[in-house]
Amino acid sequence: MQKPCNSIHANVASGSLFIPMPITKCIRGACCVVFALILYPFSSIAPSVNGKALEPAAPIRYSIVSIIHGDGEYAYHDSSGDEHAADEDALLKAKTVATQNPNAEVFIFHEIPQKHFLIFFPLRDGEFYYYRGGRLIDSESYRRYQDSFRFAPEIELYDRFHVEEQGGCVRLFLYFGHEIPEFAGYGYDESHPERIFTVNDLAEGLKHITHDSAKFDLVVLGTCYNGTPRTIESLAPYAQYIVASPENLHLSYFDLSPLEHLETSLQSGGIAAFAKNFAQNAFDKLTKEVETAITVAVYDVDKTKPFLHYARKDYERTMTTLATFTNVQPESIAHCDCAENTAYGFKGMNDGVEIFYRAPQFGRAKSIQNHSGWECWKDKVWQTTNRQLLENAQK
Amino acid sequence: MKGTTMSDHKMSVHKISGLILVILSVSFFSGNAQAAEKIQGYFNSAAREVKATADPVQKREILNNEFQSVSNALNVIESMPQTSASDRAGLERYQSAIKDNQNELNGTNGYASVPDGQLNAFSNYVVQNMEQADETITISVVTLLLIIIVVILIAR
Repeated sequence: MQKPCNSIHANVASGSLFIPMPITKCIRGACCVVFALILYPFSSIAPSVNGKALEPAAPIRYSIVSIIHGDGEYAYHDSSGDEHAADEDALLKAKTVATQNPNAEVFIFHEIPQKHFLIFFPLRDGEFYYYRGGRLIDSESYRRYQDSFRFAPEIELYDRFHVEEQGGCVRLFLYFGHEIPEFAGYGYDESHPERIFTVNDLAEGLKHITHDSAKFDLVVLGTCYNGTPRTIESLAPYAQYIVASPENLHLSYFDLSPLEHLETSLQSGGIAAFAKNFAQNAFDKLTKEVETAITVAVYDVDKTKPFLHYARKDYERTMTTLATFTNVQPESIAHCDCAENTAYGFKGMNDGVEIFYRAPQFGRAKSIQNHSGWECWKDKVWQTTNRQLLENAQK
Repeated sequence: MKGTTMSDHKMSVHKISGLILVILSVSFFSGNAQAAEKIQGYFNSAAREVKATADPVQKREILNNEFQSVSNALNVIESMPQTSASDRAGLERYQSAIKDNQNELNGTNGYASVPDGQLNAFSNYVVQNMEQADETITISVVTLLLIIIVVILIAR
């Protein structure tokens, strides 16, 4: 006769513990559940809602993709002295944009530092949010960089949820983070310094999202020093307009409030006027908070092509030289306004570029009153005189 | 010196060693980002002190002391034989940025002195300038931590 589940007989004489079979099954089941719960955070793909099964209440007229890089140093202090995390601020604003647009689908990817469970088990290092019609449809964590292609996991999530666009859908892409390297690219992710991330990887990501068809109407780079001939030319096949900062963009900050009600803000003037308004708004907000230099540029990609073609040869030559310094972080090599270098003197240099510039309020650069809108690397003269510094850094 | 015993000296050395060990061991898991945040916090604290006082003489003293403390710490670290060549290059750039701020504050090396009415804005500029410098100057975690430790010790 089978003993009841709740009875346990201890055989003291033999030193063994006899547990009835139903209880062992319960224990095994419980162990499996606990084991599965422990392993769940480490699995690659998390279960999620099939977004395609949900039909939007309102037609989708806007598609916004935001990638927010947080795997690095993003702490800053505002003018009141309060500390902020720039990536968390950007995430909050991106979510606000998502909830304020009933006619948009919004993808938000937040790249966070890799943490570990019990030191050895890596946890997921990406957070994904999908909004449609102003509502959060799905949120899940995912594992970044599973493939040789940096944005493969993000593209997979995008393809899973993306609604097939009707005609006239406005497409926006925003990237927030530190300066995207144009060469080398090691150490961009603090959790994985062996990984490479360059402008080429971002371009490849945009290529996969656009599927080689319609370009993004607007690409916004909330990064420092990416208003360069190389970066703009790399992204040109995938964007009609680009907003970027040729110099240091304090806090990787672009105010996103113009995106909050796209039905209103995109009504008059189309995407060109919107891009200009976006840049002007960001510039105005920064001038109230920041004492360092502010440069925000809007690039009409088609109109910049003659200058990009002209500048390509000299820019590539400089980059080839700099790329030989493999142990030097690109951000440690000085930038300059392309206009300072006569090699880039071109009559149509300013065609297609609208620049919002304010000099720093202190420092040697206080007297510089304008900027061409194009940022270059310091020229060969600088490289030669600072060769010793660069060679020391290589050791 | 009267009142100072050998055991007091040993205790002080032990305290410093303990402080170094705690900071290094905690920051081992924290990484570069948290180390750099600590240095930014130091500049930010000085900026808060500047804005909290109305006296321009005191404001200048706070800023000059801040620059001097960090500059002295950087000199100490730079002179250590175990500091790598690449870190030395980063430290020199840091020194250069701080020295430039100090020159502007005091009106030396071709600068006009920062007017009294702009000292608050200048303290914000220093914080922002140093936060931006963190993005362009690469220094290893250990060296960053050493800077923090020496700054703390100098400030006592």
